[in-house]
Amino acid sequence: MKRSLRLLAVITVFFAASRYSAAQSSPAVEFNAANSAPRSVEDLTSQSVPRDYAFAWQNMEQALEENRPGLLDAYFTGFAKTSLQQSIKQQAQTGLHVRYTDHGHKLNVLFYSPNGDLMQIEDDAQLEMQVLDGSKVIQSQPLHVRYMVLMTPGADRWMVRDLESTVASPSGE
Amino acid sequence: MRMLLTWLLCSLAAATPAAAAELHAPKNIAAGTDFSIAISGNSQGTFYLIGPATAEKRHIENASEISVPGTDIEKAGGYNAILCSDECAATEFYVHAAEPDRLSLLVHPSRVPVATANAISAVAIALDRFHNVVFSHADVNFSVNSNTGSLASHSQPANRGIAWIRLTSAAKASSTKISAAVGDTTETRVVEQVASEACNLHIKSYWDANRLVVETDPVRDCSGNNVPDGTVVSFTKTDASGKTTVDAPIKKGIAKAEMPVAGRARISVASGVVLGNELNVGGAR
Repeated sequence: MKRSLRLLAVITVFFAASRYSAAQSSPAVEFNAANSAPRSVEDLTSQSVPRDYAFAWQNMEQALEENRPGLLDAYFTGFAKTSLQQSIKQQAQTGLHVRYTDHGHKLNVLFYSPNGDLMQIEDDAQLEMQVLDGSKVIQSQPLHVRYMVLMTPGADRWMVRDLESTVASPSGE
Repeated sequence: MRMLLTWLLCSLAAATPAAAAELHAPKNIAAGTDFSIAISGNSQGTFYLIGPATAEKRHIENASEISVPGTDIEKAGGYNAILCSDECAATEFYVHAAEPDRLSLLVHPSRVPVATANAISAVAIALDRFHNVVFSHADVNFSVNSNTGSLASHSQPANRGIAWIRLTSAAKASSTKISAAVGDTTETRVVEQVASEACNLHIKSYWDANRLVVETDPVRDCSGNNVPDGTVVSFTKTDASGKTTVDAPIKKGIAKAEMPVAGRARISVASGVVLGNELNVGGAR
């Protein structure tokens, strides 16, 4: 009996850990800098931008699902951060939350400033969005969203300064 | 028979559920604009509005439309409107930026050497009054105004909200104002154009009591601008005992150093990567 209980505890911990790990994993990001102008994207930057953008999405998704605005501090700044904080504040007041299942992002650099202090990126994102009122799902839909993103370099990472969806349509359209 | 028919009709009416609601929103709305979402069918329940900076919930009772104030849609992007009673109906709409009303202007660097090609860059981002990037067409007018009075301007269309230019710094050291304007809004940044590297660096020497004093002529760049005070000039003495270097900052346009000299010595001068003339001096007096 004791052995069965121990086994059950191990299985429970394993599932909890795997669920936690899935929630924490950052989404897949493809990065294309071939169209960057007027400045070419440096090798190191072409590694750090997709990595930091993936972390930004991971943090944003967790912040929106758990209504924790503090998670935005690491990878968001400026108006992007303000808007998301406002959204989370309203979610907390109304008992709503939004859950994203992230199927990946395709980034295409459109503009990289001459001094390397601003990057405009188009993101072709495949997502599933669920809106929950308390624990009740009131809407669930797959989305193919195109975002226009402004990123600026911080002390040791690239930060999302603006994140604006330009087209939202059901997946497949 | 008539009673039976009436009863049947009443029963049917009671058994038929109210038609499920349908929401109809305009597909494109400017940020900050009041608008309405039309409801057909069952028009009561809980209304939800989910957007980039919005998560609203309110109860709707027998209304043919839902009024949404502009304050709820100040952030551009995709929105979801949902009305739930027994089941939920939803619609999507897109909020685009309002008219350009502000600019974010990035100018680099803040200090630049004179007469350097494409040394200054100015990047302007067109924003509406809610700080949304304006992706629609906007012409940004860049202008350069130096304190010597010269003015130049150039209009550049914004591409996906961003317009940028590169500028060559002027030949004369001065501060210059770089402005970008869209509509009635103007943003200005100041760039200090400073002298470039020293040019034709020249030193002379004289004896003051028993000490040899070495000083430069007024240090200027190749355009004749005074190299700023504080710029370091290095004097190097080479004699039988080896090599000694003294660093001296420019003060009032001239750098000066005192050097002990015993026997014959050669003294050279440099500032940054620029070398000046050399002096051969004799022993101490």
